[in-house]
Amino acid sequence: MQRHSIFKKISAFLKNHLKLGSIQSIITLSFTAVTIFGMVIAGVALYSNFSQNAEKNAASSTQQIMDQVTINLEYYLKGMMEISDLMRSNMVDTADTTVKNLNDLLNVTLKIRKDIVTMAIFDDAGKIVLSDPEYLYDRNFNAAEQDWFKNSLKDPADYFVQPPHVQRMFQDKRPWVVSLCRGVTVYKDDKLVNWVTIVDMNFSVIEQLCNKVSLGRRGYIYVIDRHGNIIYHPQQQIVYAGLKEENIDNALSHREGSYFDDFQGERRIMTVKDIGYTGWRMVGVSFVDELVENQRDFNNFILYILLFVIAFGIAAALFISAKISQPIKRLEHQMNRIENGDFDIEGLEVKGEDEVKRLTKAFNLMIARIKQLMNEIIGEQEAKRRSEFKALQAQINPHFLYNTLDSIIWMNESRNYKGVTEMVAALAKFFRISISKGNEIITVGDEIEHARSYLVIQKIRYKNKFDFSIEAAPEVLGHKTLKLILQPIIENAIYHGINSIQEKGEIAISVYVEEGNIVYRVADNGYGIKPELLKGILNREPSFDHASGVGLKNVNERVKLSYGSEYGIEIQSEEEIGTTVYIKIPLNEPGDKKQ
Amino acid sequence: MKALHRCILLIFAALFAVSLFGCSGSNSLTAEEKKTSIKVIVKKRNHDYWAVVQMGAEAAGKEFNVSMNYDGPTDEKDIEGQIRMVNEAIDDKADAIVLAASDYTMLVPAAERAIDQKIPVVIIDSNIKSDRMVSFIGTDNVDAGRILGESLVEKVGENCSIGVVSFVKGAATAVEREEGFFNAIKKHPGIRVLGMEYCNSDENLAKQQTEKIINDNPGIDAIVCLNAYSTAGAARAIEGMQKTGDVKLVGFDSTPEEISYMEKGVIQSLVVQNPFKMGYLGVKYVLDALKQIPVEKNINTGSTVIDKDNMYLPENQKLVFPFTN
Repeated sequence: MQRHSIFKKISAFLKNHLKLGSIQSIITLSFTAVTIFGMVIAGVALYSNFSQNAEKNAASSTQQIMDQVTINLEYYLKGMMEISDLMRSNMVDTADTTVKNLNDLLNVTLKIRKDIVTMAIFDDAGKIVLSDPEYLYDRNFNAAEQDWFKNSLKDPADYFVQPPHVQRMFQDKRPWVVSLCRGVTVYKDDKLVNWVTIVDMNFSVIEQLCNKVSLGRRGYIYVIDRHGNIIYHPQQQIVYAGLKEENIDNALSHREGSYFDDFQGERRIMTVKDIGYTGWRMVGVSFVDELVENQRDFNNFILYILLFVIAFGIAAALFISAKISQPIKRLEHQMNRIENGDFDIEGLEVKGEDEVKRLTKAFNLMIARIKQLMNEIIGEQEAKRRSEFKALQAQINPHFLYNTLDSIIWMNESRNYKGVTEMVAALAKFFRISISKGNEIITVGDEIEHARSYLVIQKIRYKNKFDFSIEAAPEVLGHKTLKLILQPIIENAIYHGINSIQEKGEIAISVYVEEGNIVYRVADNGYGIKPELLKGILNREPSFDHASGVGLKNVNERVKLSYGSEYGIEIQSEEEIGTTVYIKIPLNEPGDKKQ
Repeated sequence: MKALHRCILLIFAALFAVSLFGCSGSNSLTAEEKKTSIKVIVKKRNHDYWAVVQMGAEAAGKEFNVSMNYDGPTDEKDIEGQIRMVNEAIDDKADAIVLAASDYTMLVPAAERAIDQKIPVVIIDSNIKSDRMVSFIGTDNVDAGRILGESLVEKVGENCSIGVVSFVKGAATAVEREEGFFNAIKKHPGIRVLGMEYCNSDENLAKQQTEKIINDNPGIDAIVCLNAYSTAGAARAIEGMQKTGDVKLVGFDSTPEEISYMEKGVIQSLVVQNPFKMGYLGVKYVLDALKQIPVEKNINTGSTVIDKDNMYLPENQKLVFPFTN
């Protein structure tokens, strides 16, 4: 269960955060690609470099080690020869009176040199002249039978080195030694005779020198003489017991240097080096296996480093990309809410990185502006509706209707039937256009007809107290206009202009095009408007004076709401002379052509 | 956001752990393991022959990097003591045991108990009556007896009278050597056996028995001894009776004492076993068994005859005088 939910979480995580094309996945992928590419190049370079050099290095380091051991071993053997020479020179210099001196030399040397087992001198017959006094000489022993004795007499000038053998010249003591022998010519009873000196060394120092170095974990060094006898081997017992073999023939046949040897099922790197003075040869054995093992270790090491760095790179990429894309995602999430119409939020929290902060601020500003505009639109719509309602209300003003109906009744009673017909027809037209199926927009022609009906009715009611004229440019009649804008102006002219004068009123209405706009002009010769009133007439609240100016203000507002603030009413008025009102609306609205 | 961080951290930690695990995995190759412990139990702790076995076992222990514990009773006849040592090795949880059995039958229960507890046992030098052991590594004693017989003919001649000093009547090694020896001399009807004794691996008893044989048979030509104790005892007797050279001696093994007697001419020839090889191979093969590598059931370490003239030949001196630094 646990595992399942973890898996789900991870897959959800991947789905959410590794969408191709998202900033996060682009950063992650490119980062990862760069990391892998770099590390693989580095790894391959390291690997090939190491592989190429591994064998070379192994061989050269073995060579160096063996050079060092050889130098030490040569130094040691040289020392032995010097001891041998010391015995010899003592004898030559002082002829046969030397035994006492030599005895002291032997004593001292044997005491301080634990690696020297025996020092002895034999005469030409193989009889012992002088030896280490601490051990009893074996009377059964005859040096003349020994190889080293015979070889030393054969060529007295040269050293003879006897490979490891059991030294049997003492009783109850059979040490394994390497013997360094040399013939020496001495005066004995006025005759020149050849004696033999022998210095036996054990293996302690040779072992120390050869064993202290290591050629890999299993590699080792052994020493052979020119006949292939093993002088030293780290497992000498085992080799002597016949339980281990070395490919000695091969080691003898090669020149100094390194070669490969497949022996006993194992591939070895053999390094041979000659040791001076003795004709010995040092053989270094190291195992290719081990080299391969080292290389495998190294390869694994590289691999792990590679994996680790790549893993680190991916993790870092994930982290960094998340760090970058997360605030953007957060922003996106909040924007989504707004997209869905939720404008009620107070704007986004401004936090995070500088870029994101700036983005958020700009977004917040934009949201605020939109909110403001929306509020404005809502307010305008409301105002428009309100003024339309008022305009309609004004049309069905009951007083107007009562008065009109009264006039009709009065005309009927006075049998003015023509007048009745005219009035009723005008009233019907007036109301038909007022309502005009609820449309807000009508043609200019209808609007003029509406004004005309009203003027007809009012003229009858006011008993021809005024005359009116209507002039309209024929090209404007078909254009659209907001309805019921002319009638309130006329109403205003009658009630507040004409009504207040004694002489006959004149109302002249003209409609014409001016600078791409339609202009309604309503001019009367009425009372005029007082300048102080004129100023505030379009903004006046209706409660101030019920009758006056309400219509003007309403019309002005409606025109401005419908067409924009550059349109509306303009009033020119002079007291005692008259008032002229201009209503300006656009000739062509964008919506016109559609209709 | 938090979940994402946690997730990244988790991935991080996992990868880190994986890399660490990988590294430690490769490191463990070089890490010190607990050394395998091998118990080597011989017949007698302080004896020249067994000292060479010990050298072989030590050489193998060093080569294969295991801890080798050498032990054995102070007296070869202390069979109970050896049985106790085997049981102690089992109780001490030794990983493997190499045993030179003091007795052919009495060591069987202890050795088989070790096998039951999955502790491999290799028998060296002297076998036991069980076929459940990993291997027996030792001298082919019938062959060694034959070589001894042939050497007698070479040193003393086809017509001679001899006395035989064996060691333990009925002991497997003794029976086999006697068989090989008597089969070899059967081809030479001129050889007469005048006396046959068992010294129970006691040098003094062997000396007395030899003296008695020589005294009882004044014209006797040679004494034949079948192990190191009887050979040493017989040599002391012959030298003591100043019969050096008159009564010839052929025997077994190459202790320093025997070598010394051979150089003096008391002993004419010795059949030399390879105790170093037994100790070495014992440890080597019991380790193989521990690693489930199949091991041969019977391994002959061989035997060689040496005399005064050839004992210092390079190939023989390696055998007779185990190499020491």
